[in-house]
Amino acid sequence: MTKAVLEPIVLPAAGKSRFSWRRIRREPITNIFILFVVLQAICIIGALAFPADFRYLTPTNVGLLFRAIPMLGIISLGVGMLMITGEFDLSVGSVYTLAGYSIALLYGAGMPVWVALLGTMVIGAAIGAANGIITVRAGIPSFIATMGSMLVVRGLVRWLSEGRSVTFHPDETFTDLVTGSFAGIEAPFLWFVLLTIIVAVIVHRTKLGNHMYLVGGNEKTALAVGINTRLVKIIAFSFSGLGASIAGIISTTRVSTVTPAQGVGLELKAVAICVIGGLFLSGGRGTVLGIFLGACLMYLVEDVLLLLRAPGFYLDVFVGAILVIAVVVNTWLTKKSSR
Amino acid sequence: MPETPLLELRNISKQYGHVQALTGVDFMIGRNEVVGLLGDNGAGKSTLVRIMSGIERSDSGSIWRDGREVKIRSRKDSERLGIETIYQDSALVGSASIMRNFFAGREVTKAFGILDTKHMNDVVMDVLLNAVRISGINAPDILVEELSGGQRQAVAIARAVYFKTAMLVLDEPTSALSVRETDKLLSHLTELKRDGVSAVFITHNLYHAYESCDRFTILSHGKVIQTVAKADTTLRELNEIIVRH
Repeated sequence: MTKAVLEPIVLPAAGKSRFSWRRIRREPITNIFILFVVLQAICIIGALAFPADFRYLTPTNVGLLFRAIPMLGIISLGVGMLMITGEFDLSVGSVYTLAGYSIALLYGAGMPVWVALLGTMVIGAAIGAANGIITVRAGIPSFIATMGSMLVVRGLVRWLSEGRSVTFHPDETFTDLVTGSFAGIEAPFLWFVLLTIIVAVIVHRTKLGNHMYLVGGNEKTALAVGINTRLVKIIAFSFSGLGASIAGIISTTRVSTVTPAQGVGLELKAVAICVIGGLFLSGGRGTVLGIFLGACLMYLVEDVLLLLRAPGFYLDVFVGAILVIAVVVNTWLTKKSSR
Repeated sequence: MPETPLLELRNISKQYGHVQALTGVDFMIGRNEVVGLLGDNGAGKSTLVRIMSGIERSDSGSIWRDGREVKIRSRKDSERLGIETIYQDSALVGSASIMRNFFAGREVTKAFGILDTKHMNDVVMDVLLNAVRISGINAPDILVEELSGGQRQAVAIARAVYFKTAMLVLDEPTSALSVRETDKLLSHLTELKRDGVSAVFITHNLYHAYESCDRFTILSHGKVIQTVAKADTTLRELNEIIVRH
């Protein structure tokens, strides 16, 4: 290695250890984590103090949470990976519904359920890849490209379904594995945890993940250091489509039916979860744990409002408020730390 | 007989639509040499840099490394030839850590593409503290956006030093720097030259160029107007050449 003796440049001290509190406090993930823990603590204390009125800790409620969180949570994992690269996917709600029809119809046509499962996941990833290819090849905003595919896929669902819902009754092994329970915890939630770990490893610990952050952080720089930015984005789009199809499969298996109108509006909720979890619309920032906590937090708020028998519009007000506060706080923290 | 140049570009032309960005440009960089690439806006400096660093391909002409003809089709190709480009505003990704920037595109991985984070952190600390002597960094996971302009340049240069760059291409390196930081950067260049790293210094600022370069190539409207050694010119003459064209 070439030894160059250069004049010392003193960099800002960052605390004694690599894990200084000062730096941890500035991370958006810290705030969402604290918010999550505080809300949980309040709910648990509330449930213990008023077991008759606030049924937060009842098995029914806990089971409900474990079943509700994974659907949107898994979609958000894919959407979040894509958001890290600085792109959007508005088609996930439609892909989620198409996946339900895909697995139900393929299985109904006589395919083994595992083949139908694999085929559906491939379709989801392929739609994502197509979104990616259109976005990077044509150089158009992904917001527009995926808005187009949101409508096209939704139209495809209507055409496939002819406006009717389809039932899906696979064998018990499949149903148990996808929607059963293990050690008292609902399987969909365990799948969500497992997928969160896999996505976290990909995003935080692999070369591909590093490239996703660099592409989202500054595409020009990523290109300049020799990263195939287009390929990285297309892969991220595929993950987004794949996530939506997995969520669609789990949902359809759980309720044994799929209807054409389901999944509408999920795309914006997924973006909201990611933003609450500390991801930026501009890309290059955020953590997978943030997405996980964002999903849990979204449903926690919904659940608490339902338990308190609050009217439905309260939910929108709360989620909207949390969303805006999260963005304001995260932006402020980032501005504060950068020069 | 003069020694074989480190890198030589011969008769390079490049057209973007109707715009002729470069016409028959000859450019060369010798060993242990800092060459100033000068010219006004739109002279073709950036296009030439993009061709050297593999981001663009020339329409015609040839590139020679150590007297052998080479093709630079991608950033990887130019990297293999020991060319490292540091752009003024995009050398590093602000939202990523020093380590992740340092190894951007050249990550060290274990099985299945898993990053060898510990090894990379160790290398970054070693290079920043010992080889390039940037003191004060005690964590390779500091985000680049927390550093000042000069510190960012220092990290980018440290990266070039570690990856055994033969030739640094600095695109407007001083435009965002304070006077003090510019001073440090220029002394970095001198030190690097002593260690056998050549450099191409693209700048508007003639004073900075004059201080640190051995030779100057002046571009105007996509053509080379003049190539002149520092010994054969003055700051005033250089200025006149640029203004005249």
